[in-house]
Amino acid sequence: MGPVELLHMSVFSQSFSPCGRFLAAGNNYGEIAVFSLSSALSPEASEISQKPILTFTAHEGPVFSLLSTDTHLLSAGNGEISAWSWTELTKRNTKAVWTRRPQYKSSLEIPEINAMVINPRENSLAVGGGDNNIHIMDLESGVFKSVLQGHSDYVHCLSIREREGEILSGGEDGTVRIWDYRTGQTVHSIEVYKYEDCARPQYGKWISCLTTDAEWMLCGGGPSLSLWHLRSLSPTSVFPLSGCQRQAAFYQDLILSVGEGQFVSHCLMSGEVKSLIPCTPPSLNTLAINTNSTEHRVLTVGGSSDQIDVFTNLSYRAFSLSF
Amino acid sequence: MGAVTDDEVIRKRLLIDGDGAGDDRRINVLLKSFTKWCNSGSPEDGFTQYQRMLGTLAQCEFSMGKTLLVYDMNLREMENYEKIYTDIEQSITSAHEKISECKKEIMRAKRIRKNRQEYDALAKVIQQHPDRHETLKQLEALDKELQQLSHIKENVEDKLELRKKQFHVLLSTIQELQQTLENDEKSENEDPQESPMDN
Repeated sequence: MGPVELLHMSVFSQSFSPCGRFLAAGNNYGEIAVFSLSSALSPEASEISQKPILTFTAHEGPVFSLLSTDTHLLSAGNGEISAWSWTELTKRNTKAVWTRRPQYKSSLEIPEINAMVINPRENSLAVGGGDNNIHIMDLESGVFKSVLQGHSDYVHCLSIREREGEILSGGEDGTVRIWDYRTGQTVHSIEVYKYEDCARPQYGKWISCLTTDAEWMLCGGGPSLSLWHLRSLSPTSVFPLSGCQRQAAFYQDLILSVGEGQFVSHCLMSGEVKSLIPCTPPSLNTLAINTNSTEHRVLTVGGSSDQIDVFTNLSYRAFSLSF
Repeated sequence: MGAVTDDEVIRKRLLIDGDGAGDDRRINVLLKSFTKWCNSGSPEDGFTQYQRMLGTLAQCEFSMGKTLLVYDMNLREMENYEKIYTDIEQSITSAHEKISECKKEIMRAKRIRKNRQEYDALAKVIQQHPDRHETLKQLEALDKELQQLSHIKENVEDKLELRKKQFHVLLSTIQELQQTLENDEKSENEDPQESPMDN
């Protein structure tokens, strides 16, 4: 990996291992790097512990989405989904357990997969991507059970509300659709750009970030990042963040959000921006909080740089892992 | 060989037992002077030697008392340090507990804050909608208006019905009259031909 390639690297996705001791990150060259958090966070950490313990090429195209189940790491790239066993990865064995591809209508162009989300109740995986549809695959059998059609442009992000049995998807067409996964029908479709407070016509109407927490939903992208109450389907607060947000998360009483801009924004649910924490990559693509482990509870962000910033305390950047 | 080890021994003894060498010497000197005093001749010499021996004895007793006191003091210092050590350990554990308590408090406070903010956000949205009383009142007023209007409509319809019926009666009577008149005319036109027969 020469210096020029490192310069042009972008980290698109991250996922923590189920034990919480490892972090996997995917970049635009189709590689996945596995970092050992326990050695990077230990008191005798050094330069070497900030490098990955394993880097391998997983797909031919960029790895836009990574997801961890209890035993496996699922990665999506070049229109296919591969599964890798975490125990094998820690032993540096890079053989995929399985690789599957949803049934795409056209065989000429392979649409990329932008987002994946797991439905634990039915043990199924929902993937959304460039073919404007959401494919649902049963994890045990590997069969693609159903397709949720409705978006008129590609799907950027997915989220799931287990209790109500709904999948939410945000797309390039500016709509956030709420689907009932059993019937496969759209329950609601919210056109965010039509609401005056949220809309930012200078950026467009696409929705690139979507996350839910019980009754609340955060969505943003072209329109400003806004907090919605799902029962009443009304926007309650709009956050005055300048760039387009690419990923957001609810954490304790805060809302963390990353996007264009060299910082992580901390916001309160009332709509005010509490602080902007600076970090290394000039623009950020992904944000992940390690909820699987109590002693390695860190926030990691990655973006258009080969460095992944690690925050042990949310208020400042502790150190960076590099590809 | 013997001389070297002797030197070492002496050096060690001097290092370890600094004042002890003096004490040892004093006891030897005392024993020697005791034997000398027993073998002495004149009583004045004997008396001075006796005084000197008493003095040396007193010195030995004094140094022994001093070392005993020092020993006691060391024991008590040790106890004191032990106590401080256990005290510090206890305060460390209690500080740890307090820290974990405080962390739990923080989590609780954060949850409360989150709930309050959710409440505020919803309240903001709700405020934008008009008051329920007002809307109810408006609804009631509209209902009344509706009722009044339907009442009026009914009246008007009734009137219309009545007029229609009356007109109908009038028109049918007129038509009948017209019929009768036509019939009469017809029969009158036929009549002059028949009248000579009738009359």
